[in-house]
Amino acid sequence: MSDAATQKWICIICGFVYDEAAGLPQHGIPPGTRFETFPEDWTCPECGSAKSSFEVMTE
Amino acid sequence: MSAAAKLDDRLEIDLGIFNPMAPEFIRDPGETWRRLVLEYPVAFHRDMGMWVVSSHELCLKMMMDLRFSPNFRHWEYAPPEKTEAEKDDYDITMDHSLFTVSPQQHLRLRKLTMPAFARHVMSKINERIRGLIVDCFEAIGAPDEFDAYATIAANLPARAIARMVGVPPEDEIIFIKFSNSVVKATRINLSPEERAEAQHDSLEGYAYLRRAIAERRARPFPSDDFLAALVTAGEADDRLGDWDILAVVMALIAAGADTAVDLHTYVLQGLLSHPEQYRLLQERPALQENAIIEALRQGSPGKLPIFRFATDDIEFGGQTIRKGQAILVNLAAAWRDPQKWQDPDKLDITRNLEGHIVFGAGPHFCIGTYLVRAQGGIMLEEFIRRFPHAELARGDGDLAYDYEHHNARRIVRLNVRTNVGAAIRHAA
Repeated sequence: MSDAATQKWICIICGFVYDEAAGLPQHGIPPGTRFETFPEDWTCPECGSAKSSFEVMTE
Repeated sequence: MSAAAKLDDRLEIDLGIFNPMAPEFIRDPGETWRRLVLEYPVAFHRDMGMWVVSSHELCLKMMMDLRFSPNFRHWEYAPPEKTEAEKDDYDITMDHSLFTVSPQQHLRLRKLTMPAFARHVMSKINERIRGLIVDCFEAIGAPDEFDAYATIAANLPARAIARMVGVPPEDEIIFIKFSNSVVKATRINLSPEERAEAQHDSLEGYAYLRRAIAERRARPFPSDDFLAALVTAGEADDRLGDWDILAVVMALIAAGADTAVDLHTYVLQGLLSHPEQYRLLQERPALQENAIIEALRQGSPGKLPIFRFATDDIEFGGQTIRKGQAILVNLAAAWRDPQKWQDPDKLDITRNLEGHIVFGAGPHFCIGTYLVRAQGGIMLEEFIRRFPHAELARGDGDLAYDYEHHNARRIVRLNVRTNVGAAIRHAA
C-alpha cells in the first residue's frame, strides 16, 4: 500500500527492497521515511552493503 | 614464509590448535571454534600458511573491506598470469568473474543480473524447481528408512541449478561435472595439479554453455529460462556479453551447487535431532525461512569456508596482514561466536537472527541466497508433508562424513526413519 509520492528502493547486491511507504519499523524507521534521508553510513539490513548499492525500483 | 612476515610480532596458530581436516574436528568442531573465536580471532596459521579470521565481528569487517579481495590472482602464490593466446574458456570467464572484476564492474554485473536473482522473482524459480523436488520425493516413496544424503542432498542442488539455467535433463550430467570442476578450480587448499585438472574438466561444460547461449541469442522470441533472461538482461545499450553470462552462471554454481548439498543434510539433521523444534516448525510453518538459516548457523557445515587476499599491507584486528597473503574467513566459527549469539550451540528456530552472516555480507553477499532458501524451503515442505513423524535412525542417523571433502564438513550418510507405518497404525 504505497501512495504515489513514495518509492521503493532495491539493493542491487541482495535484492532487499526498502518500501518508503512501509518504512522499517523493526529497525526504528517509521512508515513514510524517505530513503534519501538515511545517513550515508546506513547499510542494507539484509546484506550489509552500502547505501550506494540501492537504486530506485521500477516494477 | 617471507622474511618480512617473520619480523612481524604476530599471533600464530598451528594444526595443533586448528586442523580443519582432522576427523575429530569434523565430527565435533565446537570447542575448536570457540577457542579460535575467543583466543585467536585473527591469527596466522603457520602450517596452512594463511591468516584465519574467526570472530563474527572481524569476519563481518573483513567482508565489508574492499582491500580484502576474493580475487585469487592477488594471492602471493597465484600461478602467473597467462597470455591471451594461452587462455582457455575457463581463464577468460575468470577474467569476467564477479570475484575478479573491479568493484564498479562488479556492481554493474550484479545490477544487470539482479532481475534473475531477486526475492520477488523467486516464485518463478520455485515453480521451476518444485517439480524436480517433488519427483525426488516420489522416487523415495514411503520406505521405513532412507538415506537423506543419497536421495535428497546429493541429488538435488546441481540439478536444481541446471533446471533453473535451462539445461535439459538429458544434459544434466555435463552440467554436474562442470559444476563440480569450476568450484574446485580456484580452491587454494588444493594442489596446483588438482586445480589444473579441475580447470581442464570444466572445459566441456563451457563449450556446452557457449552453444546454449548462442542458441538463446538466435531465438526470435526470448524464452523464460535463466540463460535467456541473462541474454536479454540490460539497461539501455548495456547488455551482458557471453563471458559475463558464463561468469554469472559460474557464480551461481559456486554459490548454490555444492554448498546446497550441506544445506539439505544440515537442515534435516538439525531439525530431526531436535524433535521439539521439528514439531514446532510443523505447528508454525511461517518459521520455515528462519529455521533454515538457524539450522545452517547452528550446524555450521563449513570447514574452509571462504578466502580473501590482501591487496596491500593492512592493519587488521591488531595484526599486520601483508599484501598477497591469503586469509581464511572462518564463517563456520563466526556463526557460533558466543559474543554474537546467546547459547550459540543451541538450535532455536525462533531465534532473532538479525545481523547474521550465514550468507556472507557486503558486496559479495551470496548471489544464490534466495535460490538456496527456496530450494531448502520446498524440500522442507515436502519432507514435513510426507514424513511428519520422521526421526534420525538409531539416534544419529548413522551419521558419516567425507573427511576428505575440500571445504565442507560434508555429511555423506544421514539415515532417516520415516515412521510412516507407525503413523498409519496410530491413525487407524
